[in-house]
Amino acid sequence: MAEALTAEPACDRNVTLSQAAIGCDLEVTDLEGPACRELREIGFCEQMRLRKLTNGRNLVCAVCGTRLALSRELAKQVRVAPVA
Amino acid sequence: MSSGDAEQPLPKVALVGHPNVGKTTLFNQLTGARKKVGNYPGVTVEKVSATLFTPHGHEFELVDLPGSYSLTPNSPDEAVTRDVLLGDFEGEARPSLVICVVDASSLERHLYFALQVMDLGLPVVLALNQVDRAEEVGIRLNRQVLADLLEIPVVACQATSGKGVVQLKQAMRFPMPPPPIRKWKAPGLVESQLAQLTKDLRELEVSRPEVHAIHLLADSSYRVEQQPYLPLMAQIKAREAAAACIKKGMAPEDAIQKERFLTIRRACRAATHDAGPHRESLSDKLDKYVLHPVLGWVFFAAIMFLIFWSIFRFASYPMDFVENLVTAAQNLVATPMPDGDLEDLIVEGIIGGVGSVLIFLPQIALLFLFIGLLEGSGYMARAAFLMDKIMGRAGLTGKSFLPLLSGYACAIPGVMATRTINSAKERLLTILILPWMSCSARLPVYLLLIPLLVAGTFAQTMMMFLLYALGTGGALFAAWLLGKRIGRAEPPPHFLIELPPYRLPDLGYVGRHVLDRSLAFLKKAGTVILGISILLWALAAFPKAPSGSEAEQFSYSLMGRLGEAIAPAVAPLGWDGRLGTAMLTSFAAREVFVSSMAISYAIDEDEAGDDEDVRRKLREKITAAKRSDGSPLYTPLVIFSLLVFYVYALQCLPTTVVVHRETQSWAWAVGQLAGMSVFAYVAAFIVFQLGRLLGYT
Repeated sequence: MAEALTAEPACDRNVTLSQAAIGCDLEVTDLEGPACRELREIGFCEQMRLRKLTNGRNLVCAVCGTRLALSRELAKQVRVAPVA
Repeated sequence: MSSGDAEQPLPKVALVGHPNVGKTTLFNQLTGARKKVGNYPGVTVEKVSATLFTPHGHEFELVDLPGSYSLTPNSPDEAVTRDVLLGDFEGEARPSLVICVVDASSLERHLYFALQVMDLGLPVVLALNQVDRAEEVGIRLNRQVLADLLEIPVVACQATSGKGVVQLKQAMRFPMPPPPIRKWKAPGLVESQLAQLTKDLRELEVSRPEVHAIHLLADSSYRVEQQPYLPLMAQIKAREAAAACIKKGMAPEDAIQKERFLTIRRACRAATHDAGPHRESLSDKLDKYVLHPVLGWVFFAAIMFLIFWSIFRFASYPMDFVENLVTAAQNLVATPMPDGDLEDLIVEGIIGGVGSVLIFLPQIALLFLFIGLLEGSGYMARAAFLMDKIMGRAGLTGKSFLPLLSGYACAIPGVMATRTINSAKERLLTILILPWMSCSARLPVYLLLIPLLVAGTFAQTMMMFLLYALGTGGALFAAWLLGKRIGRAEPPPHFLIELPPYRLPDLGYVGRHVLDRSLAFLKKAGTVILGISILLWALAAFPKAPSGSEAEQFSYSLMGRLGEAIAPAVAPLGWDGRLGTAMLTSFAAREVFVSSMAISYAIDEDEAGDDEDVRRKLREKITAAKRSDGSPLYTPLVIFSLLVFYVYALQCLPTTVVVHRETQSWAWAVGQLAGMSVFAYVAAFIVFQLGRLLGYT
């Protein structure tokens, strides 16, 4: 019970942003796919830190103090790892 | 000063930055100009400029360029920013100075664009906006360190409160700061190709060879797509340079982007103290409900219902006032003037015709007020987020919903707002379906007819809701159909949008926006609608019936004859000749339907001494209208058929002109007009004939 109350989101290593758990503080490790230039320009560049806020068809992330919504297809192009 | 000096253009200062960074607010603070401030990305889609005097007495032209995330454009409005800054935009002089506005609370995200701007060979001033917000979230920023690293003037400001505006004006002075030196260095291979390309462009007499060379190597589409101001040979040379890099495993655009990000990271590490992990803000808490898959829709529906309900509930008081003004104006003119054609033209044709449309000004102002409040609060981007799923089924994305929502107010700014959509096919689809979003010009028609169909504010609101849903549903259905015909976008459009923090709308700006739109409506009433009203009056008044009987006048007049001619074509819709005439005469502007009805029904009845308001009077006359067999003409089924026709018909020539301008094609613009007209006719036909089959009259 105590474990449940204090449970942190399970933030796996080396997953895509669409697979990452909600509430995790993450760092972008790599971008792969046709939209990576656009993703970098809006804020999802390598080493950028973010927190995943919601899941779903479109998911919301807090990046550098700004909330960005992106489709799951785009989120699959962003590889992330938990912040050390 | 010689006259030649007086004609010298003012030095130009360009204001650039990400969408929603507060650029437009800063523009207004700097110039005192009154301009609409929205809160969703892409509100600035037109060129906006104003003159300003600096504290040193210098006069500049300040240009507010469309918001951009980068100089590698993803949409037509971002391409405008790039071309103006490169000096490649037809008819636009290159700016002498660029003020690049960045968000101090999100510096790392914004500096990429700033670094691209700094590579343009233009003097740059960095405006660090939202410094108060940065402090609130715990970000400590050393402005001087940043200025030293980037070697450009950096001014801290808070556009909403006017903080730093004077310092920004002081930074605009002669001599201008020198253009910054490039802050990044690409790997040797890319640098050597860059040097060779610069040399080639110089030989080809391309202006600003190094600036264009960097841009050609940093943006693959720029060297492939035809650029009107760049010789083809320059692009061929650039492709050769890029191919030489790619052959050795290094795409030049990726290498340059990587170096720019490394430079940004170094600058941010040196100049800022990070606030640490993300802290949940009020906007995050609100978004849990507003973006919720179920509650979000409840909230969305409630907002829409509240808007329509308010339009019916609160507009009646100012409407009564406008109605009384119109009646007073009619009496004022009619009393001293002898009866005759001139009196009739002024009282019925001009005051009656224009007045019948003018009465709806309060409701149109209310609609613009609500849309302004939604934009100003930050809700618009959330609506786009919610709508993405539905839009996806029609082959669009939530991004298309923002222009479509603007279309509820007026199709023209909506069509222009599609410039923020990056996929060309999605943009075309959005433009083609946009006039089906019920715009404010349809309100006069709806508000005249709905009370004839149902009574009570709640029922009338629901009917209005239904009409808007019919328009929106029809638009999405059309997008689905058209999408199959013109082909799906490749690659498929994706959804990527910034959700700005919620904030209290700036009532001053919203008020000015409502005033601007109301004045535009008044101007339309005073020009287009006035002209058509006079024409309609003449059509109804001439030629004169030989008997001089007013009862015979309408059928003898040109309008009456036109009605007789069109009657067989509109009979399957349940309409008579007068309605057919009203439909035809409102072809250029749909709100003329009301004037047309007012003039057509006013001409054959004695109006002297009647002080009832125009709208109620007209409704009474419509209710009393009979067919030749004595049965009532305006049955609920006929009114519904009329309403459905007006939901779907285009009937707005300015929209057709703007669609031609935006699609660069008369075929799409005229095809849209024809397609929507046929669809409207068929929909009204189905409603009337199906209704009759079901036993309605």
